Amino acid sequence: MLLQILNGLVYGGLLYILAVGLVLIFGLRRVVNFAHGSLFMVGAYVGYAVATYFGNFWVGLAVSVAVLAALGVFLDAVVFRPLQREDPIVTVLVTFGILLVLEDAVRTIWGKDFLSLKPPEALAGTVQILGESFPTYRLFVIVLAAAVAIGLSLWLRMSRIGLFVRASSVDRTTTAILGVNTDRVSIIVVAAGAALAGLSGTVSAPLLALSPSMGSFILIDSFIVVVVGGLGSFSGAFFAALIIGQLHNFGVVYVPAAATMIPFLLMVGILIWRPSGFAGQHV
Amino acid sequence: MSQPSERIALPATPALARVSRQVWLALGIAIIAGSMLPSAVTSTLAITLLTQAVIGGILATAVGLVIRQTGLVSFGHAAFFGLAGYFIALPAKHGLWPLELSIVLAIAMPTLLAFLLGLVIVRIPGVAFSMLTLAIGQAFHEFAVRARLVTGGDDGLAINLPRTVFGVATEVFQRPQTMFVICWVALVGVLFGLHLLVRSRFGRVTTAIRENEERARFLGYQTVVPRALIFAISALIGAIAGTLFALYNGFVSPESLHWSLSGSALIMAIVGGTRLLWGPALGAVVFFFFKDVAGDLTEHWPAMIGLMLIAVTVALPMGISGALTKLLDRIRPAGVRRDG
Repeated sequence: MLLQILNGLVYGGLLYILAVGLVLIFGLRRVVNFAHGSLFMVGAYVGYAVATYFGNFWVGLAVSVAVLAALGVFLDAVVFRPLQREDPIVTVLVTFGILLVLEDAVRTIWGKDFLSLKPPEALAGTVQILGESFPTYRLFVIVLAAAVAIGLSLWLRMSRIGLFVRASSVDRTTTAILGVNTDRVSIIVVAAGAALAGLSGTVSAPLLALSPSMGSFILIDSFIVVVVGGLGSFSGAFFAALIIGQLHNFGVVYVPAAATMIPFLLMVGILIWRPSGFAGQHV
Repeated sequence: MSQPSERIALPATPALARVSRQVWLALGIAIIAGSMLPSAVTSTLAITLLTQAVIGGILATAVGLVIRQTGLVSFGHAAFFGLAGYFIALPAKHGLWPLELSIVLAIAMPTLLAFLLGLVIVRIPGVAFSMLTLAIGQAFHEFAVRARLVTGGDDGLAINLPRTVFGVATEVFQRPQTMFVICWVALVGVLFGLHLLVRSRFGRVTTAIRENEERARFLGYQTVVPRALIFAISALIGAIAGTLFALYNGFVSPESLHWSLSGSALIMAIVGGTRLLWGPALGAVVFFFFKDVAGDLTEHWPAMIGLMLIAVTVALPMGISGALTKLLDRIRPAGVRRDG
């Protein structure tokens, strides 16, 4: 039972790290990045390639986060900023096109076959938790997700950029009128969102099999998280990720045939009750 | 003095009487030309491709209708397409009831489902609607993959077709030359039906809601049910495409529920343009031929399609059909504004 809850926390944690990137970008640009799952997938492959080349997981993780942050800066400059005056759906379609291109690129470079990455040696063992043994690496993922959640909320609450991000996600126009350079803030935020996708991608590489389509699976779950939590809400995404993680895991264990229907039913239920998600304002 | 009586008589005239002569002409030409096409095109490969393109065109028309009448972009239409196939394959596998009844159910059930879902999800604005439809569509795909005992999982199901369907030899549905004509007539029929729909009072109410939901509500219109109805009509069209596809292939698999099919249908609709009803179908033809040509030249056709989507979205916001009519209007001295 305890192990099931912990496993649910692992998946919920990964989902949170990915989904919060979507929330960050949405807050600033009012668009949803359909290529976010592909960023996760690219992050996993970059992490895999660098980690196997150097024989060191942590180098892979660091390089992957850096590469994805750079990709985020690029995306903001060539996609989100030029399209900011268009209907948000234009950005959705363009990022959907990017998704196809990135999947194809990864398929070309690394092939279609499943790849796997070993967890770092320091975390390869198991730990005893209340008499049950649990893989150390999975515990590390939970701790990492918690650290991201704490770090992010401190950043948003304490730093100047965080203040701008929060202000901008409430009212962009007024924030810009007050002299905040939203384009500059946006580069930082989109880079952070992409870097988080890279982080969750690489961290999940030892847990999931790597394949070019791994991005779409988790993208859909993170969409459920974002919509259920309320678009643009950080705390909403946090709680929704925890709940979806638990439901997903219990579903896989107890009702495997219907496991993927459970988050979906929850989502429909929540939306009947509150059309803008449980922490959502009007979008 | 005769005018008022005419005006009173107007609602009584059936919608068909208000169809302009050009539309009747176009309808006639389309059906005749389509029926003659298989005898003109000798290559079986080309006619197979065209049949696929027309089935894709019906699905794209369904996606385009939702965009045109509600402004919402669906990423989950494969659900209705694929469900229709399973509604045909499953009863046939267990010999539950005649195929004719399955076909009726295959079209009716996804429509009903879409209406009920629509009541919940059309209230979700903009981009969130796209995210939701993607998630919902994929839930059906996952279910079809996991529930191996019922659906055969990834292997799919072969459909045991009887010798005749509605008195027509089943073979007719499986030969590309004849199936092309059936699908073509279905597509033309769908487009004609939509032409009547968007000009009806209901069509104009939904356009008003798309333009400004709040104001439409202010004027006393119900805004959720009409949009759910549009979503249901769109699912009905998607289910027609799925039914034709299942009869044509004699086989269903979870691939017909996968979000990449929803994505392709959306790409067809966007590339063709959704302002004009026939835009998405044109987009489907372009999509299939582009895929065929690009597939011969390079392995990277998915990336090519992605780039095409980006290029059209940014450079031709009204799609190919929009660009074509703009061009025609420029050539013609007194451009008549047309829509539908």
